[in-house]
Amino acid sequence: MASSPQRPFTRRQLLQRSGLVGMGWLTSGCSSTWLANQVGQRTEPLNQTVEALLLKPQTPVPEFPTSAIEPLDALLINTFDTTPEIDLQTYRLTIDGEVTNPLQLSLVDIQKRPRQSMVIRHVCVEGWAAIVQWNGAPLRELIALAKPKSTARFVYFESADGYYESWDLASALHPQTLLAYQRNGQPLSIENGAPIRLAAPIKLGYKQSKWVTRVQLVSQLLPQTGYWEDQGYEWFGGL
Amino acid sequence: MISSGLQIYNANPVFGGRGGWTFPRVLLLGGWLAGGRDWHFAIMWVFSLNLLLYGLYIGLTRRWHRRFVSSSDLQALQTGRNPKRKTYAWHRLVYTAIVPLLLLAIASGLAMYKPAQLPWLAALFGNWQTLRTVHFITVPIVLLFAIVHSLLALKAGGIRLIQSMFQLR
Repeated sequence: MASSPQRPFTRRQLLQRSGLVGMGWLTSGCSSTWLANQVGQRTEPLNQTVEALLLKPQTPVPEFPTSAIEPLDALLINTFDTTPEIDLQTYRLTIDGEVTNPLQLSLVDIQKRPRQSMVIRHVCVEGWAAIVQWNGAPLRELIALAKPKSTARFVYFESADGYYESWDLASALHPQTLLAYQRNGQPLSIENGAPIRLAAPIKLGYKQSKWVTRVQLVSQLLPQTGYWEDQGYEWFGGL
Repeated sequence: MISSGLQIYNANPVFGGRGGWTFPRVLLLGGWLAGGRDWHFAIMWVFSLNLLLYGLYIGLTRRWHRRFVSSSDLQALQTGRNPKRKTYAWHRLVYTAIVPLLLLAIASGLAMYKPAQLPWLAALFGNWQTLRTVHFITVPIVLLFAIVHSLLALKAGGIRLIQSMFQLR
């Protein structure tokens, strides 16, 4: 019987090694972001369903005592691009889209509405959190002024710096989703989003747009769902 | 689970915040924060369903009667003279302790994932920094467990036991 030709490794070893090399290639280097994206796209619908089920749209999240409020610098400043300059005299907030009564509100108009104060935990996607106090107008009351149509299901938020976000309507109408203009009872600083920013205990920080200029109700999400979402962050971002 | 968790850790280190020490790239999974979260929140299902199935198996087959550490093991550790029995007792002690630790990893992770919808769970851990620290600390403990567990297996049955587990013959 002729001896079999010398092989560097057996077929089984070849399969094992190519599997290892493939796994290594997929989980490291330039393909890792691509693969993570695939993993995210496969599992996000499931996670999103669970997140939406967990959300109690009408129930306020328990708040913290004012003694728990952390110092101003505990809330780290994140901005995707620049800090815009906004003229408070000419500033207008537009509420339009799937509504029967589109609105333009000045800062004074918004401040004349009933003010709500809340002490909540602001949680950043990066992992840090800060207990902050926001004062502002509940978004659901401003949306009610614009008389939303029954077809409205999502809300887009446009900001003066070009940042954009979209939320599910239930989260936007949550009793603690505010268009805030004060922090700790003082006017918002420009870095924190003056004159108007979104603030809510039920969404991650990147969902809470600063320098909001437009609230647009829509019946369907556009291909672009948010600045960070379009780079790969999850859309729901619930807490 | 661990390497995607370290990817998330690096976005804002638990110890030291933004200026804190970060883990080297070779240990990470996902490429960046969003990718790390994609992996973490995908594998969490596998991890927790696996633990749930294990719990059902242990419960339904009544294996919990004899599988986990018992008073006779503790007695063997204190007064036993049979070294094999002692190794066995240590093995069961370590083996038992890892179950609540894995549950703690899930509980602390869930508290950080949904602090607004599960406020009672987040409150159990005190403040946010404690919660993050507890969740992170499960990593070195699990790694330590894996090492100790392997060494004890080696001590109990030698290399032949390990080989028989993985059928490396």
